[in-house]
Amino acid sequence: MADAIEGHGSSLWKDAWIKLSKNRLALFGLAVLIMLILTSLLTPLIAPYGYETQNLDMGATAPSLLHWLGTDIFGRDMLTRIMYGGRVSLMVGFIATAVALVIGILWGAIAGFFGGRLDAVMMRIVDVLYALPFMIFIILLMVVFGRNILLLFLAIGAVEWLTMARIVRSQVMALRNQEFVEAANSLGLSQWTIIRRHIIPNTLGPVIVYTTLTIPSVMLLEAFLSFLGLGIQPPESSWGLLINYGVETMEEFPWLLIFPGIALSLTLFALNFLGDGLRDALDPRTSKD
Amino acid sequence: MIFYSDKYSTRHHFKALSSDFKALLLLTIVFGLTGCGNNESNVSSGNKTGTLYWGNGTEPQSLDPQIATGVPEHHIISALMEGLVLKDRKTLEPRPGVAESWDITKNGTVYTFKLRDSARWSNGDKHIAQDYVWSWWRALQPALGNLYAYMLFPIKNAQQYYEGDITDFSEVGVKAIDDQTLQVTLNYPTPYFLQLLDHYSLFPVHQATIEKFGTADQRGTRWTYEGNLVSNGPFQLVDWKINRRIVVQSNPYYWDANNVSLKEIVFIPIENIVTEERMFRAGQLHVTSSLPADKISTYREANDPELRVAPYLGTYYYRLNVRKPQFQDPRVRRALAMSVDRQRLVDNITRGGQIPAYAMTPPGTMGYYPKSDLKFDPKGARRLLAEAGYPNGEGFPATEILYNTNEGHRKIAVALQEMWKKNLNVDIRLLNQEWKVYLNSESAGEYEISRAGWIGDYVDPNNFLDLFLCGGGNNRTGWCNEEYDRLILDVAPSKSSHKERLEVFQQAETMLLNEMPIIPIYTYTTVQLVDSSVKNFDANIMNAASYKDIYLQVNQE
Repeated sequence: MADAIEGHGSSLWKDAWIKLSKNRLALFGLAVLIMLILTSLLTPLIAPYGYETQNLDMGATAPSLLHWLGTDIFGRDMLTRIMYGGRVSLMVGFIATAVALVIGILWGAIAGFFGGRLDAVMMRIVDVLYALPFMIFIILLMVVFGRNILLLFLAIGAVEWLTMARIVRSQVMALRNQEFVEAANSLGLSQWTIIRRHIIPNTLGPVIVYTTLTIPSVMLLEAFLSFLGLGIQPPESSWGLLINYGVETMEEFPWLLIFPGIALSLTLFALNFLGDGLRDALDPRTSKD
Repeated sequence: MIFYSDKYSTRHHFKALSSDFKALLLLTIVFGLTGCGNNESNVSSGNKTGTLYWGNGTEPQSLDPQIATGVPEHHIISALMEGLVLKDRKTLEPRPGVAESWDITKNGTVYTFKLRDSARWSNGDKHIAQDYVWSWWRALQPALGNLYAYMLFPIKNAQQYYEGDITDFSEVGVKAIDDQTLQVTLNYPTPYFLQLLDHYSLFPVHQATIEKFGTADQRGTRWTYEGNLVSNGPFQLVDWKINRRIVVQSNPYYWDANNVSLKEIVFIPIENIVTEERMFRAGQLHVTSSLPADKISTYREANDPELRVAPYLGTYYYRLNVRKPQFQDPRVRRALAMSVDRQRLVDNITRGGQIPAYAMTPPGTMGYYPKSDLKFDPKGARRLLAEAGYPNGEGFPATEILYNTNEGHRKIAVALQEMWKKNLNVDIRLLNQEWKVYLNSESAGEYEISRAGWIGDYVDPNNFLDLFLCGGGNNRTGWCNEEYDRLILDVAPSKSSHKERLEVFQQAETMLLNEMPIIPIYTYTTVQLVDSSVKNFDANIMNAASYKDIYLQVNQE
């Protein structure tokens, strides 16, 4: 503990990195994620075909040398579509989750730390938003602000932060009466500094686990909204949508389901491994060696 | 009727795993019930005994002709019951049914039907003109919830009576002059009225039976059950096991009983069309209700004579909202229509054997084969678009295709989106909405392009062309042409000969295609398998079988 207070916090991240780099699965996860993100960024440069270029005469074909992952019923190259789909899916996953993270952690930490009437008001707001059927909420947002992909990210994030806030609040309430917080108080640190420096890092374990669960559910949510006509629209696509369409023809053209499925699962595995590793690495309570 | 979904979307292939099991189960049931030999299939035993095994899609909702609405119901009801007039099994032209003859007054509004003296109900009761008066009175009871009540609206005051403006049924234009004579008065000349008489909503029902099991306007009473149902057609109901089979046998009291060859028809409801096709191959069915889309090409390549693809009285088309600035110019509308490669679309995307449509009315509607100069011509389309002020698609305003959420519609929209991008270089977005929202947006004119389908209610070009009258409820494109309205409303009805009438329709159709407020895409088809032993079962545009004419005969080889 003494180190943590003395060492300006940066040591926490340094320690975390050292611990993380010893965790092979986590490193593998990190590598896969970096690879996926790089591919997504470079897709317009490296994609073998256009994502909307159809060849109706060819139709759905199994994987071949020309089309490594086959083609869909419109004769569009699946590899290309998965690469472009990844851009949308990863973006939705990360941005929407980041939005949820920021709002959720701040909200939960403030409510939990100060308690009392402020806590009651803030958590009642969360309750009210919880009670709102989230589909209606998102549909309302889309109707008012129009169909825009950035807005889709925000809308999903704005819905997903509620659970995050509750988790963080309960963690914070458990933490705020502990000795190290009292010690920080008696040393005269400002409340904001205490929240930032001591409370939030201690809540990271459950938050990270929950985040790794949020990212895939957000990706699927996007597919669902797009299916209803509220998200992205053809010819653009996302992994969720590709899987959705793949299910329709899985007996005739299994590759239309399998490959996007692999892409999504690979991401989820990578996230889970990395999340596990991060949780272990970032938990200030675990011993340093 | 507005068509919700695409009949041959590829959604059918889901339950193949369970369908194996189901097929097995059905086979056992069919074997067990018919009690035929272990190795003899339904088809070969049926060919000996005169039993037709008919794959009927789904379990019928009701056999009450004034409640039923679907195709499976239509098949069974048309075996059990008969209207005043029948349709020719090939050309669908009116032929005498219960009425042996009829007279039409010069002005075309008063029909006098002479009923057969030999007409009987299946319990032996005499079938008289009063039966029609009572049945049509019942069909117009709002409490009955007859969705096809509007089929009777050409009859004088029928609509007013149905809507409660008139309470006295004697003011409605249907009168039994004596037991054998029925007089029907229409609002205005309706050349297709005889056709309507063969629609089941105008079939007669047996008053004593209905009143025995409930009141006239009560839904779901037991009068249509086996043992209760009394009908007037070539067959009578003898057995109805829900989700298993409906068996009808020839009706000895039928006026034309001597000419009915089949002894029995077994209607088997099989929702899974994969199973149905397997049962056909195993010789358990003479006729299937449809065929999985991915099997069509296999049968085609094998040149299988059992495959039957026939045009169906329906058109899949796109509406263009002519109130939007980009679609005010007919050249733009034509350019879009000319750059749709319909053949590729039906071959590769819909794959249901659909026929590319270049006109609104399906070919062969009462001998009407619309001429059209519309064809797939991307170059010409580009030129037209440039003339209209959008060279190479530059400056084309944001445009969306609106469709109701459905896999089949989405595929077509995606394909068209790319065709327009490739051929005209215009960017068009897609927008799907839930069915009711979609109907709302369409009616309110809040769309640029929207998908649509129309299935004819009766075989007459009028049923397709009168959609686009100014302000018509199903027009929804905002297109309005007074000359067109005049042709459909005034000129066509005034023509006395069928041929002249068709010429007027051709004129109107050409006008519609020049202005192009809609883009015809394909004509629906019926795809089914028919065993070679089934004779006198002709393909026609209504997919209507004339069961009294069908006979079974094994080809001698």
